[in-house]
Amino acid sequence: MGKTRISGLQLFMLLSGFLFGSTVILAPALGAKNDAWLAIIIGGTGGALLMLIYAAISLLNPSKTLVEILKEKMGKVLGSIIAVLYIWYFIHLASLVFRDFGEFICTVTFPETPMTVLISIFALGVVYGVNGGVEVMGRMGELLVPIIPTFILIVSVSLITVNDFTAFLPVLENGMGPVLKAALSYITFPFGETVAFLMLFPNLNRKEKLKKIVFVSAALSALISIVIFFRDISVLGSDLMSRVTFVPHSTTLLFPEANVEPLVDINLMIGGGAKIGVCIYAATKAISQVAGIENYTNLTRAVGAFCVVLSVWDFENVLDLFSWTERIYSYYAITFQVIIPLILLVLSLIKRSKPAEGSDADNEGVIASK
Amino acid sequence: MNSILLAIIAVFIILILYDMRIFIRNKEPAKVYVLYFFLMGAGLIVSLLLAAGIRPVAPSRLIEAVFKMIGIAK
Repeated sequence: MGKTRISGLQLFMLLSGFLFGSTVILAPALGAKNDAWLAIIIGGTGGALLMLIYAAISLLNPSKTLVEILKEKMGKVLGSIIAVLYIWYFIHLASLVFRDFGEFICTVTFPETPMTVLISIFALGVVYGVNGGVEVMGRMGELLVPIIPTFILIVSVSLITVNDFTAFLPVLENGMGPVLKAALSYITFPFGETVAFLMLFPNLNRKEKLKKIVFVSAALSALISIVIFFRDISVLGSDLMSRVTFVPHSTTLLFPEANVEPLVDINLMIGGGAKIGVCIYAATKAISQVAGIENYTNLTRAVGAFCVVLSVWDFENVLDLFSWTERIYSYYAITFQVIIPLILLVLSLIKRSKPAEGSDADNEGVIASK
Repeated sequence: MNSILLAIIAVFIILILYDMRIFIRNKEPAKVYVLYFFLMGAGLIVSLLLAAGIRPVAPSRLIEAVFKMIGIAK
């Protein structure tokens, strides 16, 4: 089976959609309150660097997925064990986004419909897309992801008349501590989660563009997060913003003489769909590579079904979900997002600086044959 | 047996029958069946337990307990 290819634009759209993901309903870095914009700038810079590390790992190991890199650099046994942990992480991440989606839609749009039904229907669409392959996901991203910033811009510009532009002041009222903590959480959610793209980067048709694509998508995501923060705090104020569950949704409720709530729903479906799709793809592709199965689509429905069940099983309610995410997620994710990728980067650099034994002889052979 | 349990079983049976048709047609190796039934079986058992009002220890709680044991999380 030939390797499917996606264009730079398609990867950029998928990455951007992934980064918008749940952040379209959950304002990031809110722990820093008024100074969240500072946390977004610091976290965005750190996140862009982290994503560049992922790109560097992929460029140092061309045409290899995360599982193949792990097996090559860490040995078959240890590499496979870590790959299984990554499979778990991707499945868990997909289930967390499913739950965010379910909680939001259940709370805001369809309060009478059971969450399991909503998540299951959403999962059907996502798994159908993933079954189509990376190309289909890329084309869907190309078509749908531009809608997200467009809707954000429409809501932001339309609310310009009900703004208090001094609401984010005073700056650093509580010092740098909360800002740095929020910046760390902003790195792990959403930037660090793009580690799943290590399963997709080998499908890019022009590798030389990878770093640029990664950097621009990270910068765009941080910029849009800053726009959303200033819009939300200017409209809601710092106090109300720290109390509400779904901040962007509460902002749209104040939209004068129109109901624009569906715009947030659509953004969540596109961003969440892209994120879950990439996670399910990464998980099934990784399972098939660890087990030596040729066609990963055999397992997409099983992985999708398990993600749906896990999303309902994992947390009793939305408060439980937010509490766990706030207290534990950063520590849990940092192993997969920072520690293992850094080890892989170092191992890849060492391997590159030390050419494999016999390579000289091979080169000589090539020269001699010429 | 309540209607929720029946609905869950029906959904899983439909999914499994749909996939088995493809697996048999493509003559997939045994490991595909093993992995498939592991994931579907785990999903089915947990969802039946949840529908029956029994919540098994959630993975997030186990992860939390591990981090608390190490002393990283409070």
